[in-house]
Amino acid sequence: MSDKATLSGIVAERGAEQAVEGHITACCASRDNSSFAFATGEGDLLIAPRETIRDTATWTTVQAHDGPVLALSPDVTGSGFLSGGEDCRLKRTVGGAVEELAKARRWIEHVACWSDGRKGTIAFASGKEVHLRGADGATALRTLEHPSTVSGIVFDAKGKRIAASHYNGASMWFVNSKDSTAKVYEWKGSHIGIAIHPAGEALITSMQENDLHGWRLSDGHNMRMSGYPTKVMSLAFTRNGKWLATSGADSVILWPFFNGGPMGKPPSELPGIPGVLCTRVATHPQQDVVVAGFADGTVLMMDQSSERVLPVCSAGGGSVTALSFSADGCILGYGTEDGRVGVVDLTAPA
Amino acid sequence: MSETQDRSKDQVPVTVLTGFLGAGKTTLLNHILTAEHGRKYAVVINEFGELGVDNDLVVDADEEVFEMNNGCICCTVRGDLIRILGSLMKRRAKFDGIIVETTGLADPAPVAQTFFVDEEVRDKTRLDAVVTVVDAYNVLQTLEESPEAVHQIAFADVIILNKTDLVDEAKLAEIEAKIRQINAYVKIHPAVRGNVPLTDVLDQGGFDLQRALEYEPDFLENTEHSHEEGVTSMSFPVSEPIDEARFHAWISALLQEQGADILRSKGILNFAGHNDRYAFQAVHMMADGDFIGPWKEGEKKESRLVFIGRNLNRPRLRRGFESCRA
Repeated sequence: MSDKATLSGIVAERGAEQAVEGHITACCASRDNSSFAFATGEGDLLIAPRETIRDTATWTTVQAHDGPVLALSPDVTGSGFLSGGEDCRLKRTVGGAVEELAKARRWIEHVACWSDGRKGTIAFASGKEVHLRGADGATALRTLEHPSTVSGIVFDAKGKRIAASHYNGASMWFVNSKDSTAKVYEWKGSHIGIAIHPAGEALITSMQENDLHGWRLSDGHNMRMSGYPTKVMSLAFTRNGKWLATSGADSVILWPFFNGGPMGKPPSELPGIPGVLCTRVATHPQQDVVVAGFADGTVLMMDQSSERVLPVCSAGGGSVTALSFSADGCILGYGTEDGRVGVVDLTAPA
Repeated sequence: MSETQDRSKDQVPVTVLTGFLGAGKTTLLNHILTAEHGRKYAVVINEFGELGVDNDLVVDADEEVFEMNNGCICCTVRGDLIRILGSLMKRRAKFDGIIVETTGLADPAPVAQTFFVDEEVRDKTRLDAVVTVVDAYNVLQTLEESPEAVHQIAFADVIILNKTDLVDEAKLAEIEAKIRQINAYVKIHPAVRGNVPLTDVLDQGGFDLQRALEYEPDFLENTEHSHEEGVTSMSFPVSEPIDEARFHAWISALLQEQGADILRSKGILNFAGHNDRYAFQAVHMMADGDFIGPWKEGEKKESRLVFIGRNLNRPRLRRGFESCRA
């Protein structure tokens, strides 16, 4: 456990940090925002309860997987989490209890869950297949086959469609349709991650060649966003879909999705750290705030309109590998490759 | 210690294990996984059930190849391997090295090129050696019938010549000559049922070419190979220092033009104005290089470049390399 007195940034005043064993692979808040979880390369979930989030003694560790946790998502409702791992299992963790929901043939590398607060759909990717399940996690709805291993999955905002990235493009499926074919968006090459515009205007993928590709969903028009020095490992639309925030450069790159953009428009940049790569981005669910994690472990919070920068935590613990806001925007969590985890309560008085 | 050496110390060595169908790859893998050598290996295999070893560091892969959009016509890469190696790096402390097995029919180029293309892979791992398992009993026929088999020999740093008990000495000499004709600079280890000392297979420092070139058989220097279709290897020494910029300009133009035919090129270079040796390596059009520390005391500072491929024009390559002299 790190000494609070040595922390700098707003985590010192409003949050807490802890050092754990293993690479932090993902983090997120539960659907009811009552707890915040971190997944590790050791197979553990570290769960911080909201009420006592600054008291790391109240955080609990649960062994959820045998081998690294590869994906983490809030459950459909309540305080639980869904996770997938190299053990090819889909698990549900509520409190200290872990339940196995599915066993696949390949690693479960991606888990997504759409929920309207009551009902929802769970999806997980294992090899070339995406499996859709009902909210209980047990009812198998559909299995979606892809031409190569799925590298990312995302539900649209209404949960009607799910898109998966893979070699040579992305596939979009209607969740409830009996129609077994996908709408395929083609572009040659290896697509390694995916995001969807919150109003369903565009589908964006990250590519092996250090750029982004996109399709306007109304007419399938291709968009290309390039100029990155490295692969884009993290991308997130802002709450209203006006901007797409991405990692992959030494500042946060924002592509405009208005006035005809991003086609023919240059991206904006938020301040970064010169010479240090941004590795993770997350956007605030209610405000025009972007948070960015960097290769040296620094996390910065940035107000888009004023370009004001608030340091969340200073460098340390290796690259930031996990970064997420809770859905109510009150909690921010981050984790690094060397097992440094932190949470910040954004509602707490400074 | 230089930064380069620091980096290579942290990098996980990766051994690519290739070999003809039925040559004894699985036996060798089982041997590596079960022998007492005090080192732990993560293994990426292509057929799960095959391996009778219960090991949580065995990963099943699907040889998923894609073409890069980088203007290199032959740049195919194993995307699944990028993902798997990235994931294995999340538990780096659990193993000492990684072994990647390819199917008997696979061209080794995509797996080798993966180590050039992806930044993270390049950063965190290093291709230690390509080890090809060859079945002595069938090798000559297989080489006649399968271009992939020829490539597996061409790409190899180490060849395990297995099942040598099934052939006589004359045949063995013929096989060795045939292998050397394709790849003159490979280390050949005769074996029966994959019983080779693991030190011959693992931690080869395959691209420490100094070592590879120590194996240089002199007789080959005098042999001109003129097989139209065949894969051959050629080596070019230059004793004067090489101009760095001129070399890079020449080699990138050469690989751009002939990279489809040049399967592999590698070399140790003495760049004018540098005390350290420069190690160069390429797979088809994908090239990479790094300074690898100073020349040994009293060592001849000779640059040497090796090409393995088809349609190699010896005089032209020699003139080209010699024109890079500082």
